[in-house]
Amino acid sequence: MGMDMSDRPAVKLDRSDVRRSFWLWTFFSHANYNYERLQGTAFAQAMVPIIKKLYKDPEEIKAALKRHLVFFNTEPNVGGIIHGAVIAMEEQRANGADIDDDAINSVKSGLMGPLAGVGDTISQGTITPILLSIGISLAAVQPGGGRGNPLGSILYFVLEVGIMLALAYWFWFQGYDRGREGVTSLLRSGLLDKLVVGAGALGNLVLGALTFQFVHVYLTVTVKVGDGTFEFNEILDKVMPSLLPLIFTLLTWWLLARRRVSPILLLGIYFVIAMVAAYPFFAGSVVDPTTQCPSILHEFYQPDCIPPPAPAS
Amino acid sequence: MTRVQASPLALRVSVLVTTALFGALIFAGPAFAQTEGEGTNDLVRAALVGLGYYLSNSPWLLGIGGFFGLYRPLVAGFIVGIIFGDPVTGAEIGAAINILYLGFISAGGSIPADPSVAGWVGTALAMAGGLSSEAAIALGVAVGLLGTLVFFTRMSVDAVFAHWADARAEAGDADGVARMNWLPPQIFLFFISFFPATIAVYAGSAVVADAINNLQTNAPWILRGFEIAGGLLPAIGLALNMRFIFRGTVWPYFFIGFILAASTAGGINIVTIGVIGVALAFLHVAFVGDRAERAMQSRGA
Repeated sequence: MGMDMSDRPAVKLDRSDVRRSFWLWTFFSHANYNYERLQGTAFAQAMVPIIKKLYKDPEEIKAALKRHLVFFNTEPNVGGIIHGAVIAMEEQRANGADIDDDAINSVKSGLMGPLAGVGDTISQGTITPILLSIGISLAAVQPGGGRGNPLGSILYFVLEVGIMLALAYWFWFQGYDRGREGVTSLLRSGLLDKLVVGAGALGNLVLGALTFQFVHVYLTVTVKVGDGTFEFNEILDKVMPSLLPLIFTLLTWWLLARRRVSPILLLGIYFVIAMVAAYPFFAGSVVDPTTQCPSILHEFYQPDCIPPPAPAS
Repeated sequence: MTRVQASPLALRVSVLVTTALFGALIFAGPAFAQTEGEGTNDLVRAALVGLGYYLSNSPWLLGIGGFFGLYRPLVAGFIVGIIFGDPVTGAEIGAAINILYLGFISAGGSIPADPSVAGWVGTALAMAGGLSSEAAIALGVAVGLLGTLVFFTRMSVDAVFAHWADARAEAGDADGVARMNWLPPQIFLFFISFFPATIAVYAGSAVVADAINNLQTNAPWILRGFEIAGGLLPAIGLALNMRFIFRGTVWPYFFIGFILAASTAGGINIVTIGVIGVALAFLHVAFVGDRAERAMQSRGA
């Protein structure tokens, strides 16, 4: 099959062909997400305009379609660099370069894992939580009890989609322009590693701040010493503000990451803890006289307890 | 041959569907909220929520606008709010539910819960029941766990369409392969997401509203428990994300971020934290780089 390739006229892809492939992937990368091939059929769909342009022989079209229907899974935005490189390889192959199925398969299967790791850290691990927390802090009920601003939802949507689209487009054309060697050397150069480390530093800083903002654990245990009484939580707060939420979050991380506790089990356990803490039995034993709080656990930023709303009649 | 003629069917359909559905979603809600006929009204609103839930899992909004947009309770809650005529409350509830899914990561075809159904159906039910946004978190969690059923069904059944695509490839039909990636799976997804969500909102609203009324009179502590859970559960969402990034040489930044926020009693806003974070990340990469990270990886491998 490879002999007559050098005789045929050169086929060049236009940038618009590569762009059309990009849009097909951006839209449909998860349209047929499944346990058997994951994004396999989506990869094939994205390659269709490329295949139709490069190959005219029905047998070659058939072979190319089957080549790209195999198992594939990566992070869809950053991982587009693989598609770019594969398109460049298909173009070379159609023009007679000695690139066999194995070469193309090994680029796909070799890069999809590492780029899923890099991509998930950047997109789902850093950018999304940061933008979400900006949006949430605007749209949620304000700490003082003021109304939220729904602009937070719109702002998140516009920024997130804009940034992801720009990122995806950039990586896609990096892959096409650099080709297989360029992408491999980019990965070897450690640039992406640096990006991941940087994203990790930024992500950790933000997660730390979010822990303070959103995790609320409060223990209203009063310790009697002689005539004076001490609020247990106040003592802890003197050691370090919001020490309990910090310890609680680190404990949760330790259980999930180190002890491999299932998040769903943990969800159930925390739910039970919350219910037990809210049960009037505890309210009877330790009602804070100043706040009348019917619980041993409540949000630190709302020391004055809100009584449950009256039933609507 | 112009470019428009050459553009694949799927792209043209997607542009059309995107504009039509998104437009319907934005404009139909408030319009229906004012028209007469309570019963049909409720059904239309429930159907719009169901449509939104389908769209959040669909490719039609640039792909990215689904999973990174409508899929998030922050966005879903806002649109549900529009549908029910109160976008401010909707966004507040959506934002609260989203706190739990801040650290949501879908990797390798697995999800710990379904934030989208928690956002769409959870917000609708919470609004019907008049729940406070903190109490709505717990309701969202419960609904979100049920939502994983839709995800697992879809992930299993969609494998069939991959074999249909194989058959088209065997026939050398490139457009057929492309069609198999979007047409049958999206019809299937519409059935398993739109109808359950619509029914859940339509039938569930009254049930949830009754139940919450009942709890308020007979066992108010349960609602109080919901609110306490609203303070505990975000730790799980955050810790799930920490699994991926709280390691290597960068974990100390978690404590710096916490102390920055705690020492200003939350007065520092998240944009400021982000700017400080970018500066620190730059310094970290400049001085430490990826050396330590690589040493760790090679030891681990």
